[in-house]
Amino acid sequence: MARLLQIFGFLSVLLRGATLTSQSLTIGGIVFLVFVAGPTGKPADQLQQLALRWIRRAAVALAVAQTAVLVSSSLLLMQSAAMSLAEVSGANFVVAGALGIVSSLTIVALAHTQRSRGYADMLLPAAFVLVSSVMTSHAMSRLEYRLPLAAFTALHQAATAVWLGGLPYLLLGLKHAPNTDFARALSARFSRLALVSVAVLATAGLVLSFSYVGSVSAAYGTSYGVMVITKIVLFGLLLLLGAMNYQIVRGSSSRLLDSLRRFGEAEIGIGITVVLLAASLTSLPPAIDLAADRVHATEIYGRMSPRVPRLTSPKHEELPEDVYAAQKTSTDSGSLSTASYVPGQAGTRPNTVAEKAWSEYNHHWAGLIVLAIGLLALIAQVARVSWTRNWPLIFLALSAFLILRSDPETWPLGPIGFWVSMTDPEVLLHRILALLVVGLAIFEWRVQTGRVASTGSQLVFPILVAVASALLLTHSHSLGNIKEEVLAELSHAPLAVLGVTAAWSRWLELRLPAENRARFAMAGIWPVCFLLIGVVLLNYREM
Amino acid sequence: MPIDRRRLVALALCVSVASLLTVRTADAHAVLVESSPTLNGQVSGPDVPVKLRFNVRIDASRSRLALLRSDGSTQSLELGKLTSADTLTSQVKGLAPGEYRLRWQVLASDGHLTRGEIPFTVTNS
Repeated sequence: MARLLQIFGFLSVLLRGATLTSQSLTIGGIVFLVFVAGPTGKPADQLQQLALRWIRRAAVALAVAQTAVLVSSSLLLMQSAAMSLAEVSGANFVVAGALGIVSSLTIVALAHTQRSRGYADMLLPAAFVLVSSVMTSHAMSRLEYRLPLAAFTALHQAATAVWLGGLPYLLLGLKHAPNTDFARALSARFSRLALVSVAVLATAGLVLSFSYVGSVSAAYGTSYGVMVITKIVLFGLLLLLGAMNYQIVRGSSSRLLDSLRRFGEAEIGIGITVVLLAASLTSLPPAIDLAADRVHATEIYGRMSPRVPRLTSPKHEELPEDVYAAQKTSTDSGSLSTASYVPGQAGTRPNTVAEKAWSEYNHHWAGLIVLAIGLLALIAQVARVSWTRNWPLIFLALSAFLILRSDPETWPLGPIGFWVSMTDPEVLLHRILALLVVGLAIFEWRVQTGRVASTGSQLVFPILVAVASALLLTHSHSLGNIKEEVLAELSHAPLAVLGVTAAWSRWLELRLPAENRARFAMAGIWPVCFLLIGVVLLNYREM
Repeated sequence: MPIDRRRLVALALCVSVASLLTVRTADAHAVLVESSPTLNGQVSGPDVPVKLRFNVRIDASRSRLALLRSDGSTQSLELGKLTSADTLTSQVKGLAPGEYRLRWQVLASDGHLTRGEIPFTVTNS
């Protein structure tokens, strides 16, 4: 039952991510349709039809995701808390979910009809989608300043949707623009809207961060605070790309519009990461609520100060036999419940010294491998030494290392069989990561050595790096704000930011038009990011 | 460098699916910030007032309190009148000296359930 609940919990979080993404695309699309797509004329009509089609799809996805959230959460409560259907159906999250589903379906219906008087009526169900989302946010569960916080949450989410959710529609418009003038007018209208959105998003974000984090010590001393800082750094990357786009829109060259589309693609990619990060933030209690167990600056210094990497591993026999069985026993006996736990969440048994040493050894060897990748890639990019172009093959070593070492209690080192271990979300994630690394090695080796030249193959590397970087942001977080979790977060967050930067700089190197000089800078950024990832991994510590 | 739509959709799908796998495996939940009896604390019996305060508003009508005795038996506790949206109260009467556990289960406004136990000892009054 515990394992079933764990999978259920995991699914509900996946669905929450899908809900937030499709919500942004739905609201962003409607705002684009009403305020940006263009007042009249044939090109504007065609763009409106295109936008309506994608709004319909996003709204259907939103309704499906919300229904699935509602059903899975209700089943979870009925199974684990023995609540009746009648009891569950009156809960706040059910009311919010129902409102969201009805609003999304209304949008689907409205998006089916073409109207000459405009589409402003679609803004109303879009607003209700936003209300349904805010109803289950941190803001609504606060005891103080509930309504102002709810208003700022709504503004924050709406601005995100208008900017990041509207961007794909802008790219669609630019792709199908009949002429440069139309594309330029479209970009100018969207830029003005995006500027306002960024200002609103930043202001509301600042207010919410201050309210939920509250102090500098909570910003670096809690998981919530570290995630907020990570989000702000990624927001900074987005702003940088947005500023480049703004310059392009103000420029005069017609070819520069191609650059605008490419920067827009990178913005969407980083934007999805930020939206998912925002979804993850809702999984953590606000930092201001957790006064105990915060990590202090001296502890961070003690943990992060450089030391010689651990290149010898503890023996497998020194590790606990089965982490999951031990956690289940602890949960059943009640010893895990001194503070609180979420049904289905893995337990919070502290790691043994051998487990910590095992993990450090893993991170440090992975660091050496990534350092080698970064170094050879940099030489290949800058000095054009031909044999160094084989650097992607080093990723195969990383994948084998991950499969062998990441979950010692499972196959091939431990007693738990390969397929049984896949029911554990953490093991499943590690296996997916290992597979992604194999794909990355093969595709990029073929690209680097000139065996394939298609754009699709070239883009596999940046896409997989972007996905893997987002995976790095994933950890099981303990409710009690265990210091170890925060310290792990402090080293994984920079890895994720560096990974995102590497992925999208490589994307831009490949996608920007030849005459855009930013391409050369991008070509140097991503290998340096890999070097830095290697350095951070080499200094990872758990004790 | 144009790329065809099918490939773009496949790539987008790949990114979306894998990105979705990155979301954390927990969700917003109530955290116990203050309790009476305190964790591993001692209270004088036989009547013990119970008060649990959480970091957020909770859905009291869908929350539960129970007392676990050392012999393994469980007694559901009737919740007291709501004094604050973040607090659960109750009253346990006639407790003999010994060790007990207070088991709580609360539903937050986003539909997520959290549970916990507070071991405590009742001494003679």
